[in-house]
Amino acid sequence: MVILDNYPSGLIELIDRKGVPENKIRLLAKCDMNRDKVHCDCFLIATGEELLIISGIMTLSEKRGVNKHLAQTSASRLEATFTELSYECHMLSDLSDFTVEEMLSSCRLTAKSESVGGHILLSAFTNTSKSQMNLFCKYIKKVKDGEDPELDEDDSKATRFCPKCGSRYPDKDRKICPKCMDKGKLIRRMAVFFLKYKWQLAVILGVLILMSVLGVLSPYIGSAFYYDEVLDPEGDFFGEILLVLGMIIAMRVFSVLINIINGVITSKIAAEITYDLKQTIFGAIKRLSLSFFTGRQTGGLMNQVNSDANTIYGFFCDGLPYFLVNVVQLVALIIIMFIFNPFLAAMSLVTVPVFVFIVKFIFTRLDKLHAKHYSSSRALSGALSDVLGGIRVVKAFSKEKNEVKRFNRHSERLAENAKNLSNFQNAAWPISDFVLYLGNIFAWGFGGWMVIKGELTYGMLLTFIAYMNMVYNPMYFFMDFAYWATDCLNACSRLFEVMDAVPDVVEAEEPVRMENMEGRVTFKDVEFSYVKNRKVIDGVSFDIEAGKVIGIVGHTGAGKSTLANLLIRLYDVSEGEILIDGVNIKDISFADLRRNISIVSQETYLFMGTILENIRYARPEATLDEVIEAAKIAGAHDFIMKLPDAYATQIGFGYKDLSGGERQRLSIARAVLRNPKILILDEATAAMDTETERKIQSALERLVKGRTTIMIAHRLSTLRDADKLIVIENGKMPEFGTHLELINQKGIYYKLYKMQAQALKSIGIEG
Amino acid sequence: MPENNIPNELRGIVDIVYLNRDNCKITEKNGFIGLRAVLDKSDDDMTEKEPLEKEENEKDDGDSKKKKKDTPAVETVDLGNGKVEKIAERIFLSRAFPFDMPYEYISVLDRDKKEIGFIRSLDDFDEPERTLLKNELETKYYTPTIKRILQVKERYGFSYWKCECEFGEKTFTLRDTFRSIIKAHTKDGRERIYILDIDGNRYEIPDVEKLDRMSYKKIELYL
Repeated sequence: MVILDNYPSGLIELIDRKGVPENKIRLLAKCDMNRDKVHCDCFLIATGEELLIISGIMTLSEKRGVNKHLAQTSASRLEATFTELSYECHMLSDLSDFTVEEMLSSCRLTAKSESVGGHILLSAFTNTSKSQMNLFCKYIKKVKDGEDPELDEDDSKATRFCPKCGSRYPDKDRKICPKCMDKGKLIRRMAVFFLKYKWQLAVILGVLILMSVLGVLSPYIGSAFYYDEVLDPEGDFFGEILLVLGMIIAMRVFSVLINIINGVITSKIAAEITYDLKQTIFGAIKRLSLSFFTGRQTGGLMNQVNSDANTIYGFFCDGLPYFLVNVVQLVALIIIMFIFNPFLAAMSLVTVPVFVFIVKFIFTRLDKLHAKHYSSSRALSGALSDVLGGIRVVKAFSKEKNEVKRFNRHSERLAENAKNLSNFQNAAWPISDFVLYLGNIFAWGFGGWMVIKGELTYGMLLTFIAYMNMVYNPMYFFMDFAYWATDCLNACSRLFEVMDAVPDVVEAEEPVRMENMEGRVTFKDVEFSYVKNRKVIDGVSFDIEAGKVIGIVGHTGAGKSTLANLLIRLYDVSEGEILIDGVNIKDISFADLRRNISIVSQETYLFMGTILENIRYARPEATLDEVIEAAKIAGAHDFIMKLPDAYATQIGFGYKDLSGGERQRLSIARAVLRNPKILILDEATAAMDTETERKIQSALERLVKGRTTIMIAHRLSTLRDADKLIVIENGKMPEFGTHLELINQKGIYYKLYKMQAQALKSIGIEG
Repeated sequence: MPENNIPNELRGIVDIVYLNRDNCKITEKNGFIGLRAVLDKSDDDMTEKEPLEKEENEKDDGDSKKKKKDTPAVETVDLGNGKVEKIAERIFLSRAFPFDMPYEYISVLDRDKKEIGFIRSLDDFDEPERTLLKNELETKYYTPTIKRILQVKERYGFSYWKCECEFGEKTFTLRDTFRSIIKAHTKDGRERIYILDIDGNRYEIPDVEKLDRMSYKKIELYL
């Protein structure tokens, strides 16, 4: 029995009344709409013979007689009743070919019905139910075949839903429920990282506490002590002004010293910790498989990692210590104030709640305005770099005026938002200052009255007011701190995601060392899919003898490059195996596998640096002679020598811009220098003119002797020298053989060949 | 063919088959729509048929392939004098400008996602065919309307929404809120937004200005 979703108990009674007892159920699934696109709970229940489709509305109510506080889960506390909306019953034998038809924002489940003679609609549902309905199709096939299937581990609800709160993971590959994420655990885990620096951190904390003690002390000496003990004839230290001045100066000097010490230590460990953090992060990144980078929104995630390191550092080294210090200072201040004079303390703190309320409002509003300002400034710089990057197109279509207009529009919006922001700031802060000032007035008023009545000394009043002003600063900080903490948690969770991600292509535990490969490549029933259930490669088998040249032909998107990616294990096959010299590539050590195979892919990537460095990238220890030879083989030497700085020319972002063909030639040179046993050329010469391509090919021909070469191309002339050809279509391999064999087969290759020959014929060249 | 007010300098270079009430009938069977159309004969109708079927016979059959073998996606009958009749049991519709012009510029595809023709506007068809087409479009581009936004919570890169839709309360999750909100404009210049949730479902707010103040304030930031 396979139960794919929760169902109300009322449902079982209902189908029981329809003559289907509970024990006959073999499959139960739920989707969120019925056939008429009405949102409801629609259950699909299959027994051995029938398929029931019942839609209705599930309502939850408190169970009677169950103690709310004792019941652990919502299921034991709530009772679900079910009101039927529609019901239909199909014979399973009548239906076949269950399919989830994906439309755009909804899907429908259809099946072929013998009695109707065509497809019928079983149910509609939104994309939310799509994965469950795909499972339904998988299991209903088994039910129809007479089985009583069991639920596979992978398909159970637990893998998709948070076990704690029952809501679905936002990202099914990332089993983190944002609602239930243990924030404390995140912080603790992060703290472990900082514990390495515990002594330095303790020193910083100590220094900060010392500073705040000094801060609390200085108003007392400056006011209460000075007025009441030194200036007052009745004071114990009457007339000793120099003593007070000396104390004040000493304190100042001391605090300057402490500040310097603090600054030195902080900047020292700041650099160390950020370096350490970034190293950990990038160390984690480079361990990951390619799919982690190409999949999901991780591209953006990577970019964020850098700024995340700063956020985390800022929180732990600036935020947290200041937070502690502020807490200490605030508590100390309030206690001191209440000890001095509880009545005055209470009176002067009356405005604090109002102040907190106003500042909170200001912060929320400011946040929104800042976000708007940020997004418009981002839009402006985006528009600017867009225009500058595409300046050739802009000029070619003479659209300069429109672009100026577009720029002005963004610029206007930015100005508008900036104006709003500063207007608000200009109004908001004086108001909050005013509220703060009101507190002062209270203190002056009540305090003055108390001084006249003799209940308070003048110096005490001044100290009091100084303290009161000090109370407000931590308040500002605390309100900001909440945002700071959220930011940091966010950064931590992203960081741990990168650190915890398990690479899906892993090296075997005891890899086979194969320093020298012969280069025999065998694909055995290889299947592969980037996304589950959508096969990109489907049952491809072939065998390439060492030292042969193999051409792979096929339409764009047929899966040619995927084959190459599988061979160098950027991805792992989902079914079947790939062997090199008879050894499964999963068992070969990464170092050997990648040293023996070189790939020149469609997307050439050149790093920032000189041409020499770029060619040498594959083998940094190569001699200069070797580099030049490799460049010659790749046909790159001539154009390199025409550049004023030749091999020392700086390329990459912001430097010399090479053409597509030139870039390809450099990457071929890079691969050649590696001197691999297996060379993969994935459309490596597509951006070159035919003559250059010929030249490189004849050079490569000499090179590839004794080497296995896999050439991927859609231009058939590129594959002229291939010993054997593989035709790939829709991930399958319908044809495999020599050029002549394939021509005689009159299949896909023949068609392609004829088309390209015709194209040549039409311009007067016989193919 | 519908008249175009703006001179079309490219007209006649490629053939676009426009479907309308004169050359096409929309049919309905088991809740799915199909068509019968009388069209000018094109080169495609002749050449591509033969090898395509041959190919399929060679291939080993999975479940989906069997379906194709039964009947061709489009049955083409030569009527002579340069006309053919095309009969498709099932057709699929696709909007060319899904946000701004949901009922104009509709591509009509056959089972194999090959274009049979183009509908300039649903107004080119009479009832009940127009309703059939409209229903099919509305099923495919199923987009509930949001009436009120009850709550928007942003947390750890995802935002959690609680909204009141035409059919009741709905909660959904967005990934990358800014990019999940698509701004479009109606013909009369009102701002209309589409919200894409994490599953790929779509929700619509037909007129942002008409939202109540509390709802508007919750999404103001993203607009």
